[in-house]
Amino acid sequence: MGRVEGFEDKYYKGRRPNGIYIPRYVNIDQATTSEKFVRGFGYQGGGGRSGWGAGANQESFGADFKDGLMKPGPWEFFITGFGECLPYHENKVTLNKDVLDQWGQPTLAIDCEFKANEKAINKQIQEDAVDMLVRTGVKDVVGFDNEHEPGFGIHEMGTARMGHDPKTSVLNGTNQIHAAKNVFVTDGACMTSSSCVNPSLTYMALTARAAHHAVSELNKNNL
Amino acid sequence: MITGSSAIIPGLLSLLQSCQQQERLSWQPQFLSQDQVGFVATLVDTILPKTETPGGLEVKVDIFIDLVFSKMYGEEAQKMVVEEIEALDIRCRGNYGASFSGISAEDRVTFLTELEGASPKYNGQVWGTAVGTQEPVGFYRTLKSLLLWGYFSSEEIGKNVLSYDPIPGDYLGCIPLSDVGNTWSL
Repeated sequence: MGRVEGFEDKYYKGRRPNGIYIPRYVNIDQATTSEKFVRGFGYQGGGGRSGWGAGANQESFGADFKDGLMKPGPWEFFITGFGECLPYHENKVTLNKDVLDQWGQPTLAIDCEFKANEKAINKQIQEDAVDMLVRTGVKDVVGFDNEHEPGFGIHEMGTARMGHDPKTSVLNGTNQIHAAKNVFVTDGACMTSSSCVNPSLTYMALTARAAHHAVSELNKNNL
Repeated sequence: MITGSSAIIPGLLSLLQSCQQQERLSWQPQFLSQDQVGFVATLVDTILPKTETPGGLEVKVDIFIDLVFSKMYGEEAQKMVVEEIEALDIRCRGNYGASFSGISAEDRVTFLTELEGASPKYNGQVWGTAVGTQEPVGFYRTLKSLLLWGYFSSEEIGKNVLSYDPIPGDYLGCIPLSDVGNTWSL
């Protein structure tokens, strides 16, 4: 993230409904292949002018300080990376029957970590982000890696992965549980890898497809 | 600092409103002692003095700060507040011969300039999360941040001084600043 010079006489109104997006550009083809990691990352970002909150950091106080905060501060711009987590079979959620909840049901045991490939992606995200912002002319560029643990990304997925083999997967290709075909799991649980893009549209498409399949099978008296 | 949409929980909103309903003359601090109120009020008046726009004391930022310490801080944090205010006042007595509320305007400026220079800063934020590892900013900058919050989110400043348009409708990404005037309050 950093500061953008100029445009002091420009401002905006309303709630920004979106941001900028930089799609994945590494490991797309032969020419973009990385030796450091497989798969890749994209960026989301945006800009705005700082508000009165910026006053907390200013080494200043008093009349001019106060009156200055009535006007918007400098433009600031950021991009932040979203990397893929590979489909590690050992990243899993199991039932802990030794610790029960208040209804006597087993609780979740979550065993999950980011590994070397994800860390290498994170490193590249930061290097490229700083490089792009500096070349764009952004000033006082600060690179960062918050080293978030799995779960911070709010689109976590997996745990009932889709696959051909009931021994290594929970769901079949139409989101049905292998062992119980009348049970459909149509949220993000079917994913194996996290990909690096927002998954909601994929979930909706998978759900529509699974629902279509369910209706069709029901009409054939197969369910 | 780039911040995402700030979420103020309903309890905080009622806290913001309740300090404005408080009549100053009948005000009894909920948490701070009279000496500590003197420190906070003097700090409010030094950082946010009256200019063409109201000063911090006019919109009751001192009452707000007392409410925050009283209602939002746990026991440990409250203990720390008292210790920190007393430590600052002791430094003031040592350097300038009186507590913060009793020293000259020049000495107050010298004292706060020193505190500003010595206090760590907040990291930038992306979507409301500090980037990188945030080192503690210390009591002075935390308190200054609370003063700004109380001042700019007061009804008088937030509604009548800053540009106020809570339901803005359409989004216009690039318009003359002169069409808006002051910074958006939210």
